[in-house]
Amino acid sequence: MTSATPEIVSYANALLETMDGALGASPNTVILGQGADDFKGIFGSTTGLAVKYGKDRVSDMPLMEEGMTGIAVGLALNGVYPILTHIRSDFVLLSANQIINLIAKYKYMFGGLFELPMLIRTVVGRSWGQGAQHSQSLQSLFAHIPGLTVIAPSSAQTVLDTYPYLTSTFRGPVISFEHRMLYSLDFEVDRTPLANPLAPRLIRSGSDLTIVATSIMVLEAKRAARWLEEHAGITCDVIDLHCLTNIDPTLILTSLKKTGRLVVADTSWPAFGTAAEVCRLVVQADPTLLKAPVRSLGMAPAPCPTAKALEDLYYPNLGTVVDAAASLVRGRADHGVPLPAEKTMSDIYKKFRGPF
Amino acid sequence: MPSNAAYDRMFRTALLIRRVEEKIIEIYPADKIQSPVHLSIGQEAVSVGLCEALERQDLIFGTYRSHALYIACGGDLTQMFAELMGRIGGVSKGKAGSMHLTYPARGFMGSSAVVASHLPHAVGSALAAKLRGTNQVALCVFGDGSLEEGVAHETFNFAALRALPVLFVCENNTLAVHTSIRDRQAFSIQKMAELYGIPYARIDAGYDFMEVQRVAASCAASIRAGGGPQFLEIATYRAKEHVGTGEDFGFGYRDRAAYDAWCAKDPLITDQASVAAMIDAIDAEIAAAVVAAEASPAPGLDELLTDVI
Repeated sequence: MTSATPEIVSYANALLETMDGALGASPNTVILGQGADDFKGIFGSTTGLAVKYGKDRVSDMPLMEEGMTGIAVGLALNGVYPILTHIRSDFVLLSANQIINLIAKYKYMFGGLFELPMLIRTVVGRSWGQGAQHSQSLQSLFAHIPGLTVIAPSSAQTVLDTYPYLTSTFRGPVISFEHRMLYSLDFEVDRTPLANPLAPRLIRSGSDLTIVATSIMVLEAKRAARWLEEHAGITCDVIDLHCLTNIDPTLILTSLKKTGRLVVADTSWPAFGTAAEVCRLVVQADPTLLKAPVRSLGMAPAPCPTAKALEDLYYPNLGTVVDAAASLVRGRADHGVPLPAEKTMSDIYKKFRGPF
Repeated sequence: MPSNAAYDRMFRTALLIRRVEEKIIEIYPADKIQSPVHLSIGQEAVSVGLCEALERQDLIFGTYRSHALYIACGGDLTQMFAELMGRIGGVSKGKAGSMHLTYPARGFMGSSAVVASHLPHAVGSALAAKLRGTNQVALCVFGDGSLEEGVAHETFNFAALRALPVLFVCENNTLAVHTSIRDRQAFSIQKMAELYGIPYARIDAGYDFMEVQRVAASCAASIRAGGGPQFLEIATYRAKEHVGTGEDFGFGYRDRAAYDAWCAKDPLITDQASVAAMIDAIDAEIAAAVVAAEASPAPGLDELLTDVI
C-alpha cells in the first residue's frame, strides 16, 4: 500500500510554492505586478516573497500594463525571466499590443534570433458582483494568436506540475488564466513529474460521455460526472484540457471512440472559443466519432451582469452540466435524471473547499 | 572640413547608409524587394553619431525606419539586402524584412513597426542591465510621433522612477506619415521629458554626426555613471516619402524649400571631397552585397512553421 493520506495543497499555496521555487532556482527570475509585494500578495500567491528575495525581484509596478509587458520583453531579451501578475485578466487587454504584436511574434519575426521566455499570470474573477470588467475569461482571444502558449490550470496539481516546467525549461511566452474561485480550494496532489505538463489530462474515466473542460469547469465536470454515476449510472471521461494552444487531440479522440458523445465546458463564451476549437479538432480528425450533437457550455453570450440573480443565470453550473450530459446520453431533453438543486457554484465553494 | 579619423569614419558610415538607400531606390522598381521600405535618407547622421557614442556591450532598439541604425551599428550588408529581398541568407531568414531589422551581434535587439511599442523594450533591457550589474546602456530611438502614444508616458515614468540606464532619442523629422507635428502635439517635447525629471538636450544640427556623437557620448557617460535616463531630441529631415522610394514634395503637405535648406547643410552633399574619396569603395561593397544577397535562395516550406513557439 502507498500512503493512505494524499498530500493536500490549496491552489494559492501551490502558486506561492512555485513562485518561491522559481525565484529560488534562479537569481535572474523576477515577479512584476501591481501589488506583487504587498500584504495581500496577489491573493496569497506572492506573499512574503518580496521580503525573502528583495523588492528588486518581487516588484510592485505603477499602473502600466502595456509598459510593464514591454519591460518584460526587454528583460527576457537579456536573460531575465519575468513573471507578470494581473489581479484581473480584464487588465491584460491593456497589454494586448505587447502580447499580440510583439511577444507572440518576436521569435518568428526575427527568424529565431530571439526567444522571450516569460509567464504572464492573470486572475479571472467571478461571483460577488464582479460585473462586466472584472470577470472575463479571455483565453481563446490569446489562444487564437500563433506564438503564444495559453494555459488555464484547474487545480493545485496542474499548477505544481506545470509552473516549474515553464519557469525553468520552456522557452516561449505563456499566459496563464488562474480562476479566482480556485485560489481557496484544496486539492490532492501527486508530485510525480509529467513527461509533458502541457498535455491534456484524463482525470476521470467512464464510457458514456466525454466532457472536455477548462479551469474551474473541470471541477464542475468532475462533480457532474460523480452525480451522473450516482443518480443515473451514466459514466464519463473527464478531460482537463489545461493548455488551450497546440492541443494534441489524441486523448479526446481516443475517448470519443469509446463514448461518441461530447460536452465541452469552458469558463468563457462558446463562440469562437474552446468549444469551437475542440469541435474543429474532432471533426477535422474524424467526424464519424460523434454519435450525437456536441453540447458546449460557457458563459451566456453577453457581458457579465453584476446582479446576483442574473449572474447565477449567466454561468453554467453543476445542474447545467448534468442536464446537458444526461440529455446527450439519453438522447432526449426529458432524460429523467434528477438535477442537483444548487443554483450557483460560488455558494457551494464558499462552504466546501475540497479537497478535490 | 574637419579631417580627423572619427570624422572620416562617421562620414564613411553615413555615406554607406545613403548609398545603400540609393541602391534600394535603384533596384526597387525591379521588384527584387517585395515589401515596404521606409528610407533613412536625410536621417543618417543621427544613427551614425549615436552608435559611435555607444560601447560594444550596449543595447539598441529602433523603429521600422532602421536601415541607418542597422548599418551604423555594424550590421552585415549582405544579410541586410538578403533580408530585404526575402532570402534565407537574411539576418532573420527573410521573415523580418525592412521593417524589422536587427543585429544582435552588435546589440541591435529589435525594431518594431508599431509606433512606440519598443520604448518599454529598451527600458526593460535597462532594468535587466541594472539587475545584473552589466553596466550596459540601452539606446531607444523613436520618432516624434511616438511621444503621442500612451506607452511613452508609462515608459518615461518607469525609467525615471527606477533611474534606469536608458538613452531616449527622439528623431524629430516633424512628420507622422503626412501629418505635421504642429497638428499632432499640444505639448512641448522638452517639457515632456522634464516632467519626469529626465535630463533633456536638443540637437538642431541633426545632419552633424560629430555633434550627435559628442552629445550622445556625454549622455551615455552620465547614464553609465548611474545618473538615470537621459532624453535627447535631434532635429532631422526625412527626404523621401513616408514609405516607398519616391519624393513627395508637391502634394501640399510639405515644402521643398525646407528640403533644399537641409541639403545645403548636409555633409554628405557639402563635403564632396570626402564623397569622392570614399564613394567608389562604398559602391563596390554595396554591389557585392547585392550580388551575394541575390545568390541566397528563398526560404522553403520548412521555414514556414519554424520558430513559432
